[in-house]
Amino acid sequence: MKSFDEFLLVFKPQWREFQQSLYLFNRNHLQFASLMVVLLLVLIAIFAPWIAPYPTHILEETNVQDKLLAPSTQYWFGTDELGRDMFSRVLYGTRISLVTALIAVFISLCIRIPLGAVAGTLGGFVDEVIMRLTDIFLSFPPLLLSIAIAAFLGPSLQNAIAAIVISWWPWYTRLIRGQAVSIRERQFVRAALSIGTPRSKIIFNHVLPNTIAPVIVQASMDIGGVILTIAALSFLGLGAQAPTPEWGLLISTSRTYFLNAWWYSTFPGLAIIVTVLAFNLIGDGIREVLDPKTRKI
Amino acid sequence: MNTLLEIKNLKINFKTFEGEKQALDIEHLQLGRGETLGLVGESGAGKTVLALAVLGLLPAGQSVIHSGEIRFDGEDLLQKSRRELEENYRGRRIAMIFQDPMSTLNPVFTVGQQLGNVIQRHRGLKGADLKNASIQTLELVRLSDAESALQKYPHELSGGQRQRVIIAIALSCGAELLIADEPTRNLDVTIQAGILKLMDELQKTLGLSVLFIANNMGLVNVICKHIGVLYRGKVVELGPSRAVIENHKHPYTEALISAIPREKSEKLKFAAASLRSETKRGCPYYARCPLAVESCLEQNPNLIPISDGHRAACILLREGGGR
Amino acid sequence: MIKFILRRLMLGVIVLFGVVVITFVIARVVPSDPAAKWVGPRATPEQIAKATVDLGLDQPVYVQFWKYLAALAQGDLGYSLRTHQPILSELEATIPPTLELVTLSTLAAVIAGIPLGVVSAQKKDQTLDHLSRLFSIGVVSLPTFWIGLVLQLIFFRLLDILPMGGQLSMGIQLTMDVPTVTGFITVDSLLAGNLEVFFDALKHLVLPGFTIAVYPVGLVARMTRSALLEIMNEDYITAARSYGLPETRVVWSYALKNSLGPTATVVALSIGFTLVNTFLTESIFAWPGIGNYIVSAVVGLDYPAIIGVTIFSTISYVILNLAADIIVATDPRVRV
Repeated sequence: MKSFDEFLLVFKPQWREFQQSLYLFNRNHLQFASLMVVLLLVLIAIFAPWIAPYPTHILEETNVQDKLLAPSTQYWFGTDELGRDMFSRVLYGTRISLVTALIAVFISLCIRIPLGAVAGTLGGFVDEVIMRLTDIFLSFPPLLLSIAIAAFLGPSLQNAIAAIVISWWPWYTRLIRGQAVSIRERQFVRAALSIGTPRSKIIFNHVLPNTIAPVIVQASMDIGGVILTIAALSFLGLGAQAPTPEWGLLISTSRTYFLNAWWYSTFPGLAIIVTVLAFNLIGDGIREVLDPKTRKI
Repeated sequence: MNTLLEIKNLKINFKTFEGEKQALDIEHLQLGRGETLGLVGESGAGKTVLALAVLGLLPAGQSVIHSGEIRFDGEDLLQKSRRELEENYRGRRIAMIFQDPMSTLNPVFTVGQQLGNVIQRHRGLKGADLKNASIQTLELVRLSDAESALQKYPHELSGGQRQRVIIAIALSCGAELLIADEPTRNLDVTIQAGILKLMDELQKTLGLSVLFIANNMGLVNVICKHIGVLYRGKVVELGPSRAVIENHKHPYTEALISAIPREKSEKLKFAAASLRSETKRGCPYYARCPLAVESCLEQNPNLIPISDGHRAACILLREGGGR
Repeated sequence: MIKFILRRLMLGVIVLFGVVVITFVIARVVPSDPAAKWVGPRATPEQIAKATVDLGLDQPVYVQFWKYLAALAQGDLGYSLRTHQPILSELEATIPPTLELVTLSTLAAVIAGIPLGVVSAQKKDQTLDHLSRLFSIGVVSLPTFWIGLVLQLIFFRLLDILPMGGQLSMGIQLTMDVPTVTGFITVDSLLAGNLEVFFDALKHLVLPGFTIAVYPVGLVARMTRSALLEIMNEDYITAARSYGLPETRVVWSYALKNSLGPTATVVALSIGFTLVNTFLTESIFAWPGIGNYIVSAVVGLDYPAIIGVTIFSTISYVILNLAADIIVATDPRVRV
């Protein structure tokens, strides 16, 4: 950075575009509302143990004399078969879902980005191998591979995350590769190559920085899907294990009781919906705003 | 003169994230029956906006028509419902040819289907009649082997052939007004000439009124009797082609004319991209005008009559054209 | 065109091979003892040792893999560790009920999803569009299994008008002769003219059918909308309007035909999703299909069954994608 003026010259158009995008995004009230919901969820996730009315009910403590009580002023979401406060458990579930989703998305990004960047930049044989590999992974029906892997690895939350990572990485490896290929063809990269810059340096200096924006967008869109998948795996008994108050697991346990305790299955489900919907609306909004084809000012 | 199209006080704005921006501000513009008017200006000057506004095709939600009238044969098109426009005006009395022949034809329908749909819509023909009418229309635009062309998909035709098909569709139902939006912009030079010649002939034989839009004085001069120069949504000079070209008064018109490549032109003049920073008040051309003075910032100049029908908008001009 | 299909089929075979390798490797890397599963929890060490030899588990992994491949080539998927039945015959029994659900949801996706997407695109940024967008994003945010439970609560527990699960009532299953021709009970009973079975089957189909159809309808609507919005910006749409063609025609014919490729792709994708969503739906509604089968296989760590279902699902998925590619290739612009 030679001078502030130069900095402005480079970043002013981007800043302007960012402002424009923000304007477009927030023009839609629904999207603005979901942004607020996500912020609220993050706060809940961070402070869950402190804001839960019955923090001891989150895990193992039982309270059998209050079992399967309908929602009341004492227990907002009712109680489960061991008399635990559902509200506290659902609240804490926010933390589990958000954290696991973030970890899963982060790890799969760590696989996607380098692989895609290498495939796109180097081309040739490496590219071919990586792309055919993604072909194979992509030809599993979605979720099936996660289920199979989680089944083989054995049921636990960590294994569910691993299963999701293994089956999700190929989805955007192609996207990043495409980005890398287009950057490779740009003049400044050709110029760099022509003066003998090593290709590893090109990946780090040119390709990776240019793939970050689309990747972040994709990642934000993924979170909703990952939360749903983890809930589904837990529902099948392949994810979180009792007494973890994971939403999918709560719904799964509720199956024995829900016909006579509607609140048991309903509230964790609503929690999933609100969270996933908020993330999906944000993702959809971002896509709409950034897509030059539908971008309208 | 029997006026076919008359535009009065038309103000159209675009909605942007920084608020509304003026896209078009036309005090008065008219086109007589059988006349030809060329609109020249750089991209973004509002030429296409004007064309789409006449047909009522401006994307709703992105543009606001603030005021004005677009009178076609006496009727204000802005007051018509979408259905009225679809049934009685678009394609039937007013037709439009678009810039890019590559993207104006629907890629998944054959020429015959696309042409036939329009003829059927406005002329109610069916079966063999429809086919004959289609072939006739294609022959009108001198498309060789019209019958087999009906079976073809757009990607099987060359650029020039496609533009002929597009002209055929536009003129298939007896339009009185033809709006041509840079119809030769994306064509090779030799093909351009053919299309221009065709349009010139059709205009004369069919007695069409033509609103010809271009970014280039040379093209407009070939076809049009009158020329209007648009700059940032405003008409800055207007008049008979000869007067505008030979006796141009507005500095922007001068820039446009000097940009026409000529044989052995001693020096090519360029319109400088920008001499001063853009301003919101005063003359829209202030930022780029080589003649600008302080007082240009005071008001947005009106069109000043120079000679019969020839007017220009520059505060340095006096009536009659002297400076 | 034929060359194109052959090339895609070749690619499909390669992909399938990859799938088999991956599932086989995962199954073998995992520390579990299939032989112990085979003989059951109360077996003696000798029995386990014998089963290890019987199942070929004492041989090197590559030999096992080769044998598995050879059997697979003859359509033999091996034996279930739990039931000791051939997996192929178990799949044959469970596929038709699942197909019944998948067919229903695909029909719904096409009949309801596409028009919803079109209307939404047509009315972009108007109330109807906002509602339909909220609906289509909403339903892809719903956990399938939860919808199933809520529907059971409402229609079985609360209103008591629909059965909780199963494909037929117990009474009918035991007393009536249920015809089997296509394997779809609704279709078969109708063909046989047995209305009592038909209505009973239909009643049982409503809740699982609805549960499974919600997602594809939303997905297809959403994708159709975005494909169409892109197309509506094209010059040929403005041109079609300038010719005075009615707006409905412009949208439903000129624009929609251009979105055929993306729509076909998303329908294929949604069938893939549906196939997997049956895993969750069927287990909730005790639907005797492939989803229920794999869930119990997963719980029982019945790895040959899991591999079998995986291979079957993947084959269907590959075929679906091929079908979508062929539809895309019928577009006159695409040169194959």
